[in-house]
Amino acid sequence: MTALPYYLLGTFALFTIGFYCLITRRNIIRLVIGLDILTSAAHLVFIVFSSSARPGFTQPLAHALVVISMGLDGCLVAVALALVLLAYRRYGTRDVRQLRKLRG
Amino acid sequence: MGTLPIDFSPPLNILLLGALTTPIASSLGPRLRGWAGKGCATLSLALSGASLYPLYQRTRTEPLAVGPAGGGGSPACACLFIDTAGILVASVAILLGLAAAVYSTRYREREGGDAEYYSLLLLMVAGMVGVGFSGDLLTLFVFWELMSVASYVLVAFESEAAEPVEAGLKYTIMSAAGNIALLVGMALLYGLTGTLNMAHIAQVFQAGAASAADDIWQAVALTLVLIGFGTKAAIVPFHTWLPDAHPAAPSPISAMLSGGLIKAGAYGLIRICTSIFLPLSGAWQPVLLLLALLTMSTGNILALVQQDLKRLLAFSSIAQIGYIVFGLATGTVDGLTGSLFHVLNHALAKGLLFLCAGAFLYATGTRKIRDLSGMARQNPGLGGIFTLGMLAIAGLPGLNVFMSEIWIIRGGIQAAQILPTALLVANVLLSVMYYLRTIQVIMMEQPTPVVLDARAVPAAMLAPMAVLATLCVVIGLYPDPFVRFASQAAAMVWSGPAQVATWTSGGLLR
Repeated sequence: MTALPYYLLGTFALFTIGFYCLITRRNIIRLVIGLDILTSAAHLVFIVFSSSARPGFTQPLAHALVVISMGLDGCLVAVALALVLLAYRRYGTRDVRQLRKLRG
Repeated sequence: MGTLPIDFSPPLNILLLGALTTPIASSLGPRLRGWAGKGCATLSLALSGASLYPLYQRTRTEPLAVGPAGGGGSPACACLFIDTAGILVASVAILLGLAAAVYSTRYREREGGDAEYYSLLLLMVAGMVGVGFSGDLLTLFVFWELMSVASYVLVAFESEAAEPVEAGLKYTIMSAAGNIALLVGMALLYGLTGTLNMAHIAQVFQAGAASAADDIWQAVALTLVLIGFGTKAAIVPFHTWLPDAHPAAPSPISAMLSGGLIKAGAYGLIRICTSIFLPLSGAWQPVLLLLALLTMSTGNILALVQQDLKRLLAFSSIAQIGYIVFGLATGTVDGLTGSLFHVLNHALAKGLLFLCAGAFLYATGTRKIRDLSGMARQNPGLGGIFTLGMLAIAGLPGLNVFMSEIWIIRGGIQAAQILPTALLVANVLLSVMYYLRTIQVIMMEQPTPVVLDARAVPAAMLAPMAVLATLCVVIGLYPDPFVRFASQAAAMVWSGPAQVATWTSGGLLR
């Protein structure tokens, strides 16, 4: 139980890295990587809570969710990278600031 | 149904089965002139809609909880929870899906990729129905992601042009970030309560927080869940993907996004706020009220300056989401009835309008309002349906949207929120301005050369529009059964503790 804050600090560090990546990077592929880091951090929160709810017992519910969510995350990354590829073919750049044919 | 290894209630089973068989049927293509895939998709949507009715009959009096055999009530089990509100959202999604599928058979005859298109359409509808039916956060999240990922691909489906790709990418990144916020919010709820079942979480929360620190974590979880659902529902600080994604998507998909997908976000918000976060209603009501007013004002003001028809409709959708959230934020049964009724009415009217915009695009190849002037003189039937949809969404008495707006306003007055309600009414009146301007351009002005060259719109595209238009008129003239449906849904959602009791001890399907 005493280890819980340390694990949560670890996930918080991952969140910070992912969020920083998402708001400062211009390369679209790095944005996708940032999303992936954030998802991993969310998964880690689940895993930490699943093993700390009761000492000596790991609840399998969160593990089920994390395994499914990893699969869904794979789908998301595949779709996002396909779109990045299409955008690269249309615009010839990976810089997200250059994609501005549409007005926000 | 007990023999099926995986059973998610009949409507969902049929949709998921349809999503699997549609690509196979499409691959029979050349011999059957490509109709097999389209027919398979349309048939599974129709069957799914038909199977919704017996389910509605079963859940009229009390909600139905469906879990795996032997463990339905356990906090560690994934389960479905079906009540009238879920049925309402499911019927909206399936009805619009059916309209979009029939419409697409002619709208996108020139392009390939039928197998993927119809399969993804069915998966998106299945995701929305699943969100409506889920009783725990695990099921909710899986269907939520199913719906989201399918919609990312569909927005960027016409990938030959630059616009859909850019809009799709923007939508994917923003929406995925929102989904992660939702996932973290769920993780915190799980950490606070040790379960993902919404009824059990609500019970733990109602028992009261164990310590002051728990209060803070509950507020953090609420904020994250609000961001997650708010991004999908396009509530204002998170709305920027919508005005790009809706116009760029193929028109039937725009209708689905505007009528179904953002409503799924609003429905998630309604469901979570009235069950899990009910004890925190003092916190979320003012916040949601403020966000609702901000959302409707932003949507309406930005819609005033739009030149692109689909973009105008997209901003109008943002405004309408503001009305729906307002009904929830009043915290009264009448307001919530209005919200749920508005989900249905807006889906019909806005679905109709996006399909009309698609028909204009099909006939003339342009979405600019200026270039479409005089369209009603060239094609009176289409122009008439479009005008009807515009008048409905403008809130003309005698058409459907007026009825639900009245209920939302009633909710606001009951909650003694006089100033916000006055602002809502001002917003509704403001929105009439751009609806009437558009009607005036389309109906009254001299046709442009583009419009004079317009080609005929096929019957398969007109038929779904005619059905939606008829429903708009029927609900407007004879609203009683629909109001009863919505108020029943609202009462079930709002019943809080009673709902928890039937949930955990409720009758299982098997």
